[in-house]
Amino acid sequence: MSRSTSGGARSGRRAVVLGRTPAGRMPRFGGAAVLLCAPFALLLLGTVLAPVAYALYLSLFTERLSGLGFSGPSRAFVALGNYADVVTDPDFLHGVGNVALYAVVQVPLMLGGALVVALLIDSAVARLKQVWLLAVFLPYAVPGVIAGLIWGYLYSPDIGPISAVAPIDPLGANGILPSVVNIATWQWMGYNMIIFYTALRTVPRELLEAARVDGAGPMRTALSVKLPSIRPTLFVGLVFTIIGALQLFTEPLVLQSFTGAVTSTWTPSLYVYDSAFVAGDYGRAAAASVLLGLVSAVLSAVVMRISARRSR
Amino acid sequence: MDEARGGGHRSGERRATVSRRTLLRTAGAAGAGAMLAGSLSGCASREASSGATRVTMWSWLTGMDRYVEAFNASQREVFVDLNVLAGGLSGGYAQQTNAIRAHNAPDIMHVEYQGLPQVLTTGGLREITEDTSDLAPEYSSAAWRSVRPDGRTWAVPFDVAPMVLYYRKDLFDAHGLAVPSDWEQFRTTAEEVRRIDPAARLTTFPLNDGSFFAGMAWQARDPWWQILGDSWKVDIGGAGTLRTARYWQELIDADLVRSDGIGTQDWIASMHEGRLWSLLGAAWSAGTLNKSIPRDSGRWAVTTLPTWDGVPSTGMQGGSAFAVSAESDVPEAALTFLRWLSTDPEVPGIAASFTTLLPAYVPNRAVARESYRSGYFLGEPIYDVLDEAVRRVSDWTWGPTALGLFSTLENRFSPVVTGGSTLVEAIERVQHDSVRSMRGSGLSVIEGGST
Repeated sequence: MSRSTSGGARSGRRAVVLGRTPAGRMPRFGGAAVLLCAPFALLLLGTVLAPVAYALYLSLFTERLSGLGFSGPSRAFVALGNYADVVTDPDFLHGVGNVALYAVVQVPLMLGGALVVALLIDSAVARLKQVWLLAVFLPYAVPGVIAGLIWGYLYSPDIGPISAVAPIDPLGANGILPSVVNIATWQWMGYNMIIFYTALRTVPRELLEAARVDGAGPMRTALSVKLPSIRPTLFVGLVFTIIGALQLFTEPLVLQSFTGAVTSTWTPSLYVYDSAFVAGDYGRAAAASVLLGLVSAVLSAVVMRISARRSR
Repeated sequence: MDEARGGGHRSGERRATVSRRTLLRTAGAAGAGAMLAGSLSGCASREASSGATRVTMWSWLTGMDRYVEAFNASQREVFVDLNVLAGGLSGGYAQQTNAIRAHNAPDIMHVEYQGLPQVLTTGGLREITEDTSDLAPEYSSAAWRSVRPDGRTWAVPFDVAPMVLYYRKDLFDAHGLAVPSDWEQFRTTAEEVRRIDPAARLTTFPLNDGSFFAGMAWQARDPWWQILGDSWKVDIGGAGTLRTARYWQELIDADLVRSDGIGTQDWIASMHEGRLWSLLGAAWSAGTLNKSIPRDSGRWAVTTLPTWDGVPSTGMQGGSAFAVSAESDVPEAALTFLRWLSTDPEVPGIAASFTTLLPAYVPNRAVARESYRSGYFLGEPIYDVLDEAVRRVSDWTWGPTALGLFSTLENRFSPVVTGGSTLVEAIERVQHDSVRSMRGSGLSVIEGGST
């Protein structure tokens, strides 16, 4: 989903360019263009568009049993019935609430942290920049499942040190959300930091020198010169992070084995997984994932629009 | 990690260790587990001798690769091609269900007793009533009933998994504690244990395992589902179940038992260090103990479950059977292998090197008993206890939503630990939700109202 939405934003611009050309150049480059686009188009069609279309189709049907159910299911068209079931399911709404709360805490915390670290490393006073870059980036190299396991053990009472010093039980009902936020922040801060840092390196050095000549200190330079220069990058990071938050799955899934506080429907993604592969209700799972995709698309579009307006 | 992983494929032993459950569940989610397992099974010889009928099989049973290897080596007519799946709810059921829908299911599929009716609702299994009728008298009735929910036979039983009580005999003896024979004594024993060692508890009631509570309710002789004609009677909130729920709620409220999961690293440490004095488990838990705390040899003993009011009754937790796909082109060959797997005395012999198999096929019990290498457990021989436990297994029918229900139960039990709900409230809600969702899917449901 994340790839298709970000691609969508970009292809909007490309479409305008292409729209002007067909009459003139297309015939000449037609063969080559088709050939060169084919791999991408086929992959997009086969791995993104077709599954999305199939999910849409599935979401309109349900499997009806009769009697004891042993004669097998028959497929029945229910129009938007699955969608109605999903949006009125308290478990789903609870999951949405969890993710919203998670996003409100994690998105600013993680992006803010990444930005501060990137600015610090980019500042003139930083020493051993490569070492710092690597150190902060390293958690991103740890696969999500492994990261979840490591943190799960660290949080466990009697095994990990954290529950002894934390004010709340990190695996308890109240501690689980901060714990998940912590894992995700630990894992993704370095990744976003690298993106921001790379953008900061492209800020023209003359601009920074000019700022210094005008008497701006490091703080002022960071806030008034560097930040506005990398604003588009910040918004891209924001979009990715919001989508990532909506799709929250791996960390809570892994923590399920450590605590009962993470239910099998704790986030919308877990709800989809549980509906499809535990309860076997593919229609409901498809409806929930379509809703999740829609919300991701809308939120991305809103953020991109704000970004575009700001940059103008 | 490796060892933990292997344990996951044991029948019924879905949640034996946290690392394994985590790995499998997550790997199953990512779709990687099956690939990994598939590539592992690729090591087994895949060359069928010419002329042999090839039978494809999917399973997550620990040691199935060894059984298949032995079978393939023993004859030339049938060649079984095994694909190892991620364990049950960690992905195995999902993969099988998807294959049934896609009309490319393997010839043989793995179905635990608790999952059979739910798999049946996919319409993907072949009825094998005629083919297996001659075996009927030889099977433990608990297993045979489980593969015949509606009077037709749908799978060949493999093992049985009655629940039993494992306890620290060394500690019980040292402190003069008697082994509790009913649940009231169990409560008193729990009080004693806490008095002797304030850091220790008698056991844990795993709130994160719906199949555990189901096994406990089974013992209370109050089946959650029954087939009445062409309808399901659903009675998750029956008197026996509620009594069980109330009892455990009292123990949790009084801080007499823990309520965290079984099989976690924390649990293993507690078991080894004497902070947990017993385990309510199934027949296969003996293997879990052997594997999780191998150095505890000579500390543990096993006995039958404490009873309600002295009535000898036991539930099961897990247990595996194998079914033939409705679309299999080679059902006879598939059944040839399943008969061998279920009844050949070679199988318990092979099993003895890595597990404590309790065969559903009664004549094989003697082989299992003889092959078992004793030494880990003190006191009464484990196979004596298991035999008695199987005899005590009471009537029970699994419903067509049992697997999904475990996950719902776990979700509803989750707030119990903070006092946000009680087991009784959770059960009543699950009963209500279950009836609603079964009716919603078109099943004919009679609501049990004896709450």
